[in-house]
Amino acid sequence: MFSKLAVKNVGRSFRDYGVYFLTVAFGVCLFYVFNALETQTVIRYLSSHQRQELVGAIQQLIGVLSVFVWFVLAFLILYASGFLVRRRSREMGTYLMLGMERWQVARLLLAETAVTALVALAVGLALGVVLSQALSVFTAGLFAVPQTEFQFSVSLPALLRTILAFVGIFLLVMLYHAFTVSRRKLIDLLRARRVNQELKVRSLGMSVVLFLVGCALLVVAYAMLLTRGLLRVDGLFWVMIGLGSLGTLLFFRALSGFLLRLCQSNKKLYYKNLNMFILRQFNASINTTYRSMTVICLMLLLAIGITATSVGLNNTVSQMADQTIFQDVELVAWPEEEGDTLDLAAALEAGGFDPEQQCSSWTTFPLYQNEAGEPCLLQQDYDAYVSAWGQEPADAFLESWGARIVDGEGAGLTALRWYFLADYAGDPNEAEQLFLQAAGYIPDTGGYQYTTKQSIWMDLMGTKVLVLFIGLYLGVVFLVASAAVLALQQLSQAADSAGRYQVLSRLGVSEKMRGRSVDIQVFLAFFLPLALALVHAVVGMTAANAVIAEVGRVDAAASSAVTALLLVAVYGGYFLATCWGSRRILRAAA
Amino acid sequence: MEQILKVEGLCRDYGKGTVTHAVDHVDFSVEKGEFVGIMGPSGSGKTTLLNCISTIDTPTAGHIWVEGRDITTLKQKGLSRFRRERLGFVFQDCNLLDTLTAYENIALALTIRKTPAQKVDALVRETAQLLEITDCLNKYPYQMSGGQQQRTAAARAIVTEPALVLADEPTGALDSKSARLLLERFELMNQLRQATILMVTHDAFTASYCHRILFLQDGSLFAQVERGNQDRKDFFRQIIGVVTQLGGDQSDVL
Ligand SMILES: Nc1ncnc2c1ncn2[C@@H]1O[C@H](COP(=O)(O)OP(=O)(O)O)[C@@H](O)[C@H]1O
Ligand SMILES: [Mg+2]
Repeated sequence: MFSKLAVKNVGRSFRDYGVYFLTVAFGVCLFYVFNALETQTVIRYLSSHQRQELVGAIQQLIGVLSVFVWFVLAFLILYASGFLVRRRSREMGTYLMLGMERWQVARLLLAETAVTALVALAVGLALGVVLSQALSVFTAGLFAVPQTEFQFSVSLPALLRTILAFVGIFLLVMLYHAFTVSRRKLIDLLRARRVNQELKVRSLGMSVVLFLVGCALLVVAYAMLLTRGLLRVDGLFWVMIGLGSLGTLLFFRALSGFLLRLCQSNKKLYYKNLNMFILRQFNASINTTYRSMTVICLMLLLAIGITATSVGLNNTVSQMADQTIFQDVELVAWPEEEGDTLDLAAALEAGGFDPEQQCSSWTTFPLYQNEAGEPCLLQQDYDAYVSAWGQEPADAFLESWGARIVDGEGAGLTALRWYFLADYAGDPNEAEQLFLQAAGYIPDTGGYQYTTKQSIWMDLMGTKVLVLFIGLYLGVVFLVASAAVLALQQLSQAADSAGRYQVLSRLGVSEKMRGRSVDIQVFLAFFLPLALALVHAVVGMTAANAVIAEVGRVDAAASSAVTALLLVAVYGGYFLATCWGSRRILRAAA
Repeated sequence: MEQILKVEGLCRDYGKGTVTHAVDHVDFSVEKGEFVGIMGPSGSGKTTLLNCISTIDTPTAGHIWVEGRDITTLKQKGLSRFRRERLGFVFQDCNLLDTLTAYENIALALTIRKTPAQKVDALVRETAQLLEITDCLNKYPYQMSGGQQQRTAAARAIVTEPALVLADEPTGALDSKSARLLLERFELMNQLRQATILMVTHDAFTASYCHRILFLQDGSLFAQVERGNQDRKDFFRQIIGVVTQLGGDQSDVL
């Protein structure tokens, strides 16, 4: 009897608590993807090119973030299961009244939680493995990393870590359930559903005033942001953030009242179908939801901002590698005694890197100083530079030193530093390897340093990868969190208004019309915070672009596309699940 | 007289295995402009019978005609339409939408029938006047007394001029003064608007406002009394008489 009950309940809870399931699955999926970074093509590429330290740093940072993400997810899942318990408290009360022991009821809940959690965990992991591959392909494309044949890989440590993390959360949930059942009084459990939220009536005129004040505050905050820019963090910056947040709060607090007043003044609109009911319903719920709507709007803003900026910045940095260094290799050495001659090419050849073989074009020359202390370059060295790489980079080199060209063999000039510049011939990877080996020790110099295009590119890419992954990770977590909180709120509201929909049904409002009314309410709850967050984000991104534009160009199209895609997938998924769940709850009541 | 409601061989069974015959072969009819009561002890099937007529429940067997149309054959969509266009309801509780004002509650019955917006106001006010709730039109249900709430529900039930008003224990949750006021308004609705009312009650006093009373026991009709020209007090005594004579549970009836 007991197991039958549990299995039956699990079957139902899959249908009824889709949002809980979705949150656990999304959480698991995210957690796995970002803990399994070593399976990512870009990360593999970096570690196979002497960037293990960077990769280690990235993974460490993501690991630290994961702790934060764990707390967010734990809170979310606890919140979701709280909703689940509240919805079921009457049923639990009935079990108790029928003579089931408290521990039996608790065990029933625990069994349900365990099974639901296990299935969600499995689904989330499967989704994570697939998504991890998709992300790998996407980022490899973004960084133009050569993709060796498609490799399907699963990270066992990440699997283990994810399972451990979520088993921890589920234990917390079970503790919570056990606690709830043991603490609650029977009478409270039985009465749970009857307690209706108190309806506070607020003056509509006040709402209109508050709404206008909220809008004014937002406009002031926007103006400050656009004129001051994003990066001036001082007293006024916090005033701006405060104004923006307060404006958002007032906006949501008064919006429903404002809408109601607006529609009431248009009788044709107000007294049409269920419009009156929908608006009143929205207005009644706003007292309990405006705070969370504000938080959700700001979280969405963070999510949108982080995702868009990280993807956008990422493409920007990509164009910077080419500008920093022109040749594949640049080696600079200082002689032991000023004026001494260094043969860098010979030294490299001795180290196993033969410029004649490995390079398509190369040159080595000294930078001199004349008696006046001005930097000089010999005409013949300049000519060699030009013939190897052309006029433009040669002039750029001159300009960077403010050097002048002198004729002759360097009489009266002192060699300050010696240059070796080269482009690889053949396989750049192999040449780079040989060069790095040879450059490991160059004898008889007073010091030397080198940069290769590949290493600069690699370092830049490392930074980009870091920014991108952290941005996506945080962005999606915030997105999931906001959507899940919204969804749960809407569902508990649907449960609270079950009685109202029953009355509507009796009055002869068709199921289609009732469903539409539910959808509109869920839509308002999801769309309004998103709409305001988008407006915030557009203003914020305009200010942010001004900052990023100093570093490079933001690829607005790519960043918008990725952000939009994520928004639609996560937010849209929750929206649909909520519509579906709410309709179900209300259909069961009618 | 035009026949508004005709019920024939109506049955409603509950449960598998051991079947409860909540309503067991019931036949009766209601004429236009009548005020009919259905009386019976708790569990006798009154609510089930009313739910079948109001199409909230589907009968196991039998037919129900409203204005000559067999509503037991209607499909889901037709049912909703029939309910909002031809019926009016007053229930014991759970009646008004707590998020709407009294005015809006009444208006809602009109808007879901797609009544033009400019006609709404006049209809709502006229009906509110009849039920003496003009003063609380702008109040929310929780700001009104139980009696005012039930009268608002009654106003909502008749504002659409339905063929039939169904009331399930409308005085059940009211004190005697409010109950009297509500019932007087029901009488007025019946007299001035020619509203046809079918009211279920287990209370003899409430029943004494009706023109005709059907007695229900264990799902079957077993008696019927008509008021004729007697005044309400005499009719009340007659009802008590029938109830005691037929061995009903006194305490349950009173
Ligand atoms: N949904 C149901 N499922 C099973 N039995 C029911 C249901 N509704 C009513 N009954 C049974 O039908 C009988 C009549 O109930 P009801 O019509 O509510 O009586 P009344 O309204 O006269 O008090 C009762 O015996 C009741 O137990
Ligand atoms: Mg009843």
